[in-house]
Amino acid sequence: MKVEYINPFVEGVNNLFTTMLDCEAKRGNVGVVQDNDPPTQSIVAIIGLSGSVRGCVTMVFPARTAMHVAHRLLGSTIDKLDQDVMDAMAEMVNVVAGAAKAKLNEDENSPAQLSLPTVILGRDYRIQHPSWSVWLDIPFDSPLGPFNLCVSIETDHSRKGVA
Amino acid sequence: MNVLIVDDSTTMRKILINALKSVGITDIDEACDGQQAVDATLAKQYSVVLMDWNMPNMLGIDALKRIRLAGNQVPVIMVTTEAEKGRVIEALKAGANNYVIKPFKPEAIIAKIQEVTGAAK
Repeated sequence: MKVEYINPFVEGVNNLFTTMLDCEAKRGNVGVVQDNDPPTQSIVAIIGLSGSVRGCVTMVFPARTAMHVAHRLLGSTIDKLDQDVMDAMAEMVNVVAGAAKAKLNEDENSPAQLSLPTVILGRDYRIQHPSWSVWLDIPFDSPLGPFNLCVSIETDHSRKGVA
Repeated sequence: MNVLIVDDSTTMRKILINALKSVGITDIDEACDGQQAVDATLAKQYSVVLMDWNMPNMLGIDALKRIRLAGNQVPVIMVTTEAEKGRVIEALKAGANNYVIKPFKPEAIIAKIQEVTGAAK
């Protein structure tokens, strides 16, 4: 997976924050998700892509960040991790992946499709990635709190070895 | 002015409702998929419909086509993550009056509504 493939997703995050959350998300350095990373204690929003662009995108939010984001999005008081928060996190990853999909699809005849987003809430679980996939992890910081964007995709071009 | 919001995401519907209420639009109905949108527009005349694209049961683009086939010329604004040029052209050909790509600033939605309804700012 080429690092430049993450750029549309990063742009998607930046655009989402500046438009709908009225603040900026500052990107950190890209890393690779390791299988021995510590268990997650956060909210994970997952969405899949299929078609000419295939892969998976996750956004990982600490609980406080998720509640702050949901409050900003919905304008309502959020004091617990309820369904509103889960729905908001699902919509976050849906919008980010949708924006990226459009950019990755620009030269494709068969547009990629998004799956329905899924949200995981819990403690001490580990997301195990297939050994053949590479997951890039991009940490962000924002006035609403830190979060991570993790992306693993391949395109028809990448499979053909074309840049 | 009365507005029909069509989106399967409760979050997105709440965001749109907040945007509308911020400018005093309170006559708002909600639909969760394209079929509900078609049914709602058959039952009631709206000032404008805000239509998502990807929804279960019936896509927003198919709902738009059915609304136009029924002879209903209610202004429809597509509000969607589908940002590809081909999608925009497809929607406009199907009779969409305007197109907003998610994510959006709330004021962008209001501006588009004013544009298609001719409402004063």
